[in-house]
Amino acid sequence: MTIFCLEDFKAQFEKLKKKNSYAAIEGDIINYFFDKEITQLISGTRLNNSHDIPYIKKRLNGSGGFRVYFLLVIKDGKIYLMFLHPKTGSLGYENITDDSKALLYKKVLESIKTNNLYNVTVNKNKLIFKKN
Amino acid sequence: MIKRFCIENKMAYIHSIIKVSKMDFLEYKPQIENTFEQVRALSFEEKKASVFDEQKINRLLDKILEFKRTYTTKTNKINFLVEKIEEITWFNNLDEESLMSINDLISSIRDLHSSLLRQYVSLDLIRSKGIASEETKKFKAAIDDLKDVAADLESRFFFLPNIAGFQETTKELSLI
Repeated sequence: MTIFCLEDFKAQFEKLKKKNSYAAIEGDIINYFFDKEITQLISGTRLNNSHDIPYIKKRLNGSGGFRVYFLLVIKDGKIYLMFLHPKTGSLGYENITDDSKALLYKKVLESIKTNNLYNVTVNKNKLIFKKN
Repeated sequence: MIKRFCIENKMAYIHSIIKVSKMDFLEYKPQIENTFEQVRALSFEEKKASVFDEQKINRLLDKILEFKRTYTTKTNKINFLVEKIEEITWFNNLDEESLMSINDLISSIRDLHSSLLRQYVSLDLIRSKGIASEETKKFKAAIDDLKDVAADLESRFFFLPNIAGFQETTKELSLI
């Protein structure tokens, strides 16, 4: 399974990581997405109409934690992390607008087409972002 | 003669001391006994009272535990519902009738959310005392998720498909 991310995801992750109150974010992402079969990630709210390439919104860290938006390309075993936000705290909000959800969806398509993505791996329990 | 006089005097003195001591004892005894009775009565009352207080505290703790259990059960039920609602977002190609049912479902979820939120607000005093704070926090988070999932359901079936380019993006992604 290969994990990629959009610039939006990386920027947001780095912003949140700097805040002590969101210290759990890195561990939560690693625990949820890494060392898993892609089929184990088929849960949460599906926002598009595709079984093969689901656009998913997932609540992480139980209630009150983070919301992660990602795309699964099941047949290729690829995950595209698109965006995340906390629900609470100084940088938290309940939801993003439908227009933002649609814009992210377009962005991921464009980023796949132009290969404007970061490859995301884990080293010593840290996320490593490497530009493709 | 003088010696005899001295002995008699001494004896009279000793008798007078014994007489005074006996009189004192008779006078103090009721007071001692009375005080003893008062201490005994109060001791008994306090012993009873401490047992009574312990019972009251136990009853209060039982009520708190019951309260915690009630709200944990409510939270689990809400979380279970949230998962069930999320599963609906994985359904494809729904007909008009199904969409109408989903629309009713969204209204019901919002109605349920309002009732639960009112309950949460009514717990204000309990929360301010720090009682069952973890349980009420999880309860609130579950209520928020319920609201969130209603909005997601609406986005998934009614709003996102109508945003320009959204369905085309799905088509294009399937070709990559």
